[in-house]
Amino acid sequence: MFLNNFILAASDPVVDWDLFQSSLWPMIQGGIQGTIPLTLISFTFGLLIALLTALARLSNSKILAGLARVYVSAIRGTPLLVQLFIIFYGLPNIGVVIDPFPSACIAFSLNVGAYASEIIRASILSVPKGQWEAGYAIGMTHRQALLRIILPQATRVSIPPLSNTFISLVKDTSLASLILVTELFRKSQEIAARTYEFLQLYITAALLYWIVCFILSLIQGRIEKRLDRYVAK
Amino acid sequence: MLVSVKGLHKSFGDLDVLKGIDLSIEKGSVVAIIGPSGSGKTTMLRCLNALEMPNKGTIQFQDEFNINFDAAPSKRDILTLRRKSGMVFQSYNLFPHKTALENVMEGPVIVQRKAKEKTKALAESLLKKVGLAEKMDLYPHQLSGGQQQRVGIARALAIEPELMLFDEPTSALDPEIVGEVLRVIRDLAKEGWTMAIVTHELKFAEEVADHVIFIDGGHIVEQGTPEEILKNPKEARTKQFLDRILNPS
Ligand SMILES: Nc1ncnc2c1ncn2[C@@H]1O[C@H](COP(=O)(O)OP(=O)(O)OP(=O)(O)O)[C@@H](O)[C@H]1O
Ligand SMILES: [Mg+2]
Repeated sequence: MFLNNFILAASDPVVDWDLFQSSLWPMIQGGIQGTIPLTLISFTFGLLIALLTALARLSNSKILAGLARVYVSAIRGTPLLVQLFIIFYGLPNIGVVIDPFPSACIAFSLNVGAYASEIIRASILSVPKGQWEAGYAIGMTHRQALLRIILPQATRVSIPPLSNTFISLVKDTSLASLILVTELFRKSQEIAARTYEFLQLYITAALLYWIVCFILSLIQGRIEKRLDRYVAK
Repeated sequence: MLVSVKGLHKSFGDLDVLKGIDLSIEKGSVVAIIGPSGSGKTTMLRCLNALEMPNKGTIQFQDEFNINFDAAPSKRDILTLRRKSGMVFQSYNLFPHKTALENVMEGPVIVQRKAKEKTKALAESLLKKVGLAEKMDLYPHQLSGGQQQRVGIARALAIEPELMLFDEPTSALDPEIVGEVLRVIRDLAKEGWTMAIVTHELKFAEEVADHVIFIDGGHIVEQGTPEEILKNPKEARTKQFLDRILNPS
């Protein structure tokens, strides 16, 4: 019996090429409409939040530093999926109804903001104290030294870990399918629900993510090389 | 007097490092600051441009500017003080993401908001002056220690400070390239720059300094002409210090 079933299943064609071709374009469309804008918007706002959070944590104000700490701790200490559900399914209970796409943008921005703030903070701290002093010694204000001297050097240090954050984000956006955002993975789910070809469709989705992340890691390498030009080998 | 320092105190936690420094620097003079390790030379120099915040005391520039540290001074006063002096660090502290030329231009362009084109000419002439005409477009890591330190000097000169501060400018350098940096400082002395130099190079101090200050234990123990301090010290502690340097072992 079992053997029979097994042989039956295996006798199906391994890859349905027609389905592959007809499913590829909707998935890519999902990527273009959902995954890519979601990633870019969330990463941009996330970095902004991260920079402000890092500066708050490094500031002399105990209140600002404390708030930043709580924010980072809360985001890092809770599952991203739960955060998404709170924003999309939870907030309507208090009358705050947000569409799927903006909900996802908010959740992912807050997430990137928390994780990247730790990266930015560490990279600012990694710039030697003598660099601040050299800035001050030529008469710079704190702000000038930060913008002209410290952040450019901190950027160099933070590019590799921030690239990793970006690549993780590309993959994490697939969670948005669970709050009804039309993106790559949701498209594959829709087609799979129609055709029952779960394995093939999910592997196709995985391949698409892989290709994008592979290209991104190539770009990461190039950026790092360019930034390397002023650093001792 | 270009600079008059009165009653300068600085402590780190429980450690009193400067215990009341009184000091005057005449315009156009070179002051050498000597003393044993840990005596507070670096701290004193850094207090002069508020990289280290003194706990007490005043610093006066001619009759025009006075900053009092008995209470926390305003940010504005601190900036004013810093813009009156240029600092050359023991470990250069060049900006690694900027070329030699950009390092020198940074102060005039960003702090003094001078036009880029004019500043570029100024920076080029300063780098020529310190013997780096060929190296302007190189990054710090492409330069030797002596070359980096000369960029550091040019960077400090570029903001046209009234006072130049040097903290052991040659002590991180290999012996054979100490000379190229000292030569630059010597030229500056001839041009009439007012300078305060912390140094262990007694021969150099004797040659370029107009005034020598010996510090020990957070006090100025003795000061005077190089002849007076280096050749005929009055205080036992000065004698002991010089003796130890001149006859090591
Ligand atoms: N940021 C700091 N925090 C705590 N203690 C400090 C700090 N900076 C300096 N000190 C202490 O202050 C004292 C004087 O230090 P300073 O660097 O001024 O000495 P120095 O005369 O320049 O010595 P050297 O010849 O070794 O450079 C030392 O005991 C030092 O440990
Ligand atoms: Mg010192």
